[in-house]
Amino acid sequence: MNATKITIKNLAKSFITFRGRVDVLKGIDLEIEPGEFFVLLGPSGCGKSTLLNLLAGLEKPSSGELYFDQELVASATGKFSGPFERDISMVFQSYALYPHMTVEENIAFPLTNLPQVPAPEVMSAKVRETAALLQIDHLLDRKPAELSGGQRQRVAIGRAIVRNPKVCLMDEPLSNLDAKLRNEMRAHLKDLQKKLGVTSVYVTHDQLEAMTLGHRIAIMNNGVLQQVGTPVEIYRAPINQFVAKFIGSPTMNMLTGALLEENSALYLQADGLRIKLPEATAASLRAKNLKQITLGVRPERLYVKSEGEQNLTLPVSVIENVGPEFLVYSFHKQGQIVVRTPEEPTGDNLNLALDAEHLHLFDEQGNRISC
Amino acid sequence: MTRETMIKNFLIFSTGLFLLAFTLGPFIWMLWISLADRADFLVTGKVEYSFSNYYQVLSAHSLHFLDYLTNSLIISTITAVVVTFFSSMAAYAVSRMRFPGRSFVPLLILAMSMFPQISIVGYLFEMFSKAGLINSHMALILPYIAWTIPIALWINMSYFTQIPLDLDKAALVDGAGRMKVLYKIIFPLALPGIFSSALLVFIACFNEFLFAIMLTIDYTAQTLPVGIALFQGLHGEIPWGNLMAASALASVPLVILTLIFQRYIVAGLMGGAVKG
Repeated sequence: MNATKITIKNLAKSFITFRGRVDVLKGIDLEIEPGEFFVLLGPSGCGKSTLLNLLAGLEKPSSGELYFDQELVASATGKFSGPFERDISMVFQSYALYPHMTVEENIAFPLTNLPQVPAPEVMSAKVRETAALLQIDHLLDRKPAELSGGQRQRVAIGRAIVRNPKVCLMDEPLSNLDAKLRNEMRAHLKDLQKKLGVTSVYVTHDQLEAMTLGHRIAIMNNGVLQQVGTPVEIYRAPINQFVAKFIGSPTMNMLTGALLEENSALYLQADGLRIKLPEATAASLRAKNLKQITLGVRPERLYVKSEGEQNLTLPVSVIENVGPEFLVYSFHKQGQIVVRTPEEPTGDNLNLALDAEHLHLFDEQGNRISC
Repeated sequence: MTRETMIKNFLIFSTGLFLLAFTLGPFIWMLWISLADRADFLVTGKVEYSFSNYYQVLSAHSLHFLDYLTNSLIISTITAVVVTFFSSMAAYAVSRMRFPGRSFVPLLILAMSMFPQISIVGYLFEMFSKAGLINSHMALILPYIAWTIPIALWINMSYFTQIPLDLDKAALVDGAGRMKVLYKIIFPLALPGIFSSALLVFIACFNEFLFAIMLTIDYTAQTLPVGIALFQGLHGEIPWGNLMAASALASVPLVILTLIFQRYIVAGLMGGAVKG
């Protein structure tokens, strides 16, 4: 097994343009464990692809250092190893197959660049073995133009793994595939990474891919790391509003308002909507003496309850039947509130209960308030 | 067939026929005269067809046809090779690498080709006289390179920019050096562009007249267009038969080259590189 640890220390990257300096990455610190499937997640322009290019050795950092195991591979002023010296491979969103070469030649290309080029029969055996692993061994004589999208993607993956690299980098490799194929390839990719045990860094803007593929996820925004953690950690305890909204589909409901004390209960008054906070949440908020907060709650944690303790009442705007469940939308001044429920609701209003354990509270700066 | 399609077909056919006659007419006329024993056969009505003009042109040492042809081939080939080499390297740099003035350089090079030939030929003559280059192959190769490199660069650039940058990145990651990326990935994919530019440069040099007549003196360096133009001067009268035979022979290398290269100059080589 060829597992490498990646250490990123205070890494930054700026580009000089006609409009001045653009800071794409601002002081990234990160450790990626050997054999880990690590996902970089963020919206377009957040710097995730630039970070991947820095890891690949396609760009030089403006400051900071990058280590593969103990070895310094890039620093702003000193050492800089190219992609091949780092022994990395990369899968591109566009596949980037060489159109004038056959599938066999495409997969063999990295082997032909090795310092000691393997003998033709060794090379051919290696290519066939890789192709068999990806179930494309019957396509070796074809040119990329004769392949389907999924097959091309497999060839691109084959080219990336054929020489057992230390690190495999993937730049949104599935986003050009249709939805069905993407699901298939996602599972296939996860299985492959497990079998090979190679440290993998995967860039995506699709939170579902990140949640399902990654051992750990790093969420980025505006060139800054927001949160690093396992999918479950990030889903259950997002560190700020950005992360909370980015992870989960439908997105987390957010309501901002003032806290009001009434009849020994604590309420959140958000533009005409009055929410009674559960006692445990109220107690911890009282202790912090806050005036204004944002309450976040995931659609599946708003429980429809016709009797007993109710925390808020929502007018029903739209109901969507999505098969196993219903999504109920209520349009509000601060945006829409979504409730996920197994039963189709009746009536114009929905009475809902909250539970203290699954509430997310954020302060005025958007940071999580720990309760 | 409706009336409309009939009119449409008629217009397409007749326009095509006209264009064909317009372009091929002079060529056929040239071949006809080159094969006739006398140029005034339309007046006299007496004519015999033979290859005697061709035989004369190729065998008469005083005409130096083969010298001119050799000069033309040497000068055009060397120019085309040198220009293709440098213009494709430059096109790669301009289309791939980040450096200050990246967008300015191609415009500057294009600006150079905007000077009319006549405005620089006098100075070139003086310069080459001092350098002792007048009446040598170099006297034509050097200005031809400078004269054709802008167009070759622009043709190559337009092809290179169509090749996705991801292919370069992929090849670099796969361990190829910049030179290997160039000759293993970029050049094979840009071949149609490289062949088109090479062919255009070759044809331009093969046909060029002004530099050739000003910077060369005799058959040791003169090219075909100049040589053919001199046929009349050498003999007092205008030897139409010989002139036309020489012109017909002069077009043979170009026809052959175009036939060889045209199968390379096809689009569609990029299929399957990236998601289309």
